[in-house]
Amino acid sequence: MKRFAFFPGCLIPARHPAMEFAIRATLPKLDIELVDLEGASCCPDPIYFKSKDKLSWLAVAARNLCLAEDLGVDVVTNCSGCTATLSETYHLLADEPELKEQVNQRLAKIGRTYKGTSKVRHIATVVRDEAGYEAIRASVTHPLRDLKVAIHYGCHLLKPSRIMNVDNPDDPSVLENLIRALGAEPVRHRNWYLCCGKACQNEDIPNNMMHDLLGSVHDEKADVLGMICPTCFGQFDHGQMKIAKLFDEDYHTPAVYYFQLLALAQGIPYEKLGFEKQRFKPTVLQRFDEVAAVAEA
Amino acid sequence: MTSKNEDNDIVKVDFAFKRLLAETVEGDLANFCYQCGACVGDCPAATYSEDFNPREIMLKVLYGLEDELLGSESVIWECTNCYACHERCPQQVKPVEIIISLKNMLAARGGAPDAVNKVITTFETTGRTVPYSPAIDKQRAKFGLKPLGDVPMDEIQALLDSTPEGEVT
Repeated sequence: MKRFAFFPGCLIPARHPAMEFAIRATLPKLDIELVDLEGASCCPDPIYFKSKDKLSWLAVAARNLCLAEDLGVDVVTNCSGCTATLSETYHLLADEPELKEQVNQRLAKIGRTYKGTSKVRHIATVVRDEAGYEAIRASVTHPLRDLKVAIHYGCHLLKPSRIMNVDNPDDPSVLENLIRALGAEPVRHRNWYLCCGKACQNEDIPNNMMHDLLGSVHDEKADVLGMICPTCFGQFDHGQMKIAKLFDEDYHTPAVYYFQLLALAQGIPYEKLGFEKQRFKPTVLQRFDEVAAVAEA
Repeated sequence: MTSKNEDNDIVKVDFAFKRLLAETVEGDLANFCYQCGACVGDCPAATYSEDFNPREIMLKVLYGLEDELLGSESVIWECTNCYACHERCPQQVKPVEIIISLKNMLAARGGAPDAVNKVITTFETTGRTVPYSPAIDKQRAKFGLKPLGDVPMDEIQALLDSTPEGEVT
């Protein structure tokens, strides 16, 4: 079993515990073991705190990486924002020895030294590279047949590709393949590459952008919108209702985090996966429970 | 007859501002920009706003036009932080990083937007961007998850303090 330090970040553990539950329930079936990082803080976030002071941002991120270095394992993140912060820190401090020295001067105040021995991996790449699509397919007991999943990559999973090392940002395939492994059908809508707009402080921009994106999802008649980032999830769950109202549209494609889909496909019942907390509930998924009940009878 | 130097249309480069920008992490990369515009095509903010154009921001950075970059008409907070410009830039200028460096300069003057300051303060006081509440642990318990762990704030606050060790503040 491959071990990783689990860096859950802020949003998923606090706002979306159902996502954390799904991750912890599904990964052991793929022979991936998560070790908790005691004393971890916010990554810190690459939007707000990074905007205040990049050096402090690097120092706190390096401290989080030190916790994994103490355990001698690589870090796995479940949030694209945390991945961005921790990966950027890893690469920047590897490339810039003077910056690493400055960061270590800060860390010396708390008796720590950043070495750069723990790599940062997004959870989508960990299941792809450590388990593989075939092992995911083999773990599925309740294939999500005839489920159309629109794909939203978000930005920080893929870009900058030199740092993230996840996939080709102009024509990625990882999420499509992860969805296919569940027996479902991925749908790449025409605005698949757009950003969720969360970081932008002029709300007209994300509003118009989400309107275009959700319009193309709606045109595809997808059953759900597959997400891999909790920030994007918030934009498309809470935000979809706002956009539908603002533009008088009939949007209703529930956003679903990938690992909750995986959990369902591995046989965890719908009602245990916390979907009732969502603004748009993916009730279309309930039919896979019925398939299971028939199979078990 | 006026000399060229007295012509008001000539932009004077503000080197002092550029030196300050270069002191921020990766702020020195701005000088490699040759204004090709590769950053514009994929920029979601440029697509959806007439005011925001990363090439124009970089041009103002090259000139050091502080008022336009950081003044009341500043557009830097329209950036969506998507990193498409970082991906596209043939000079590896990382325009998004320059924009974040500009935000660092603005924040140092207390000029960050209120919504942004709110999240920053939450992080600086709790070590998280989502503040802790007992309701969170209650929700977590429903999924069989452990309560949120403690963040050692003494360590975080020591790291946020830029004063070198041993120096009296």
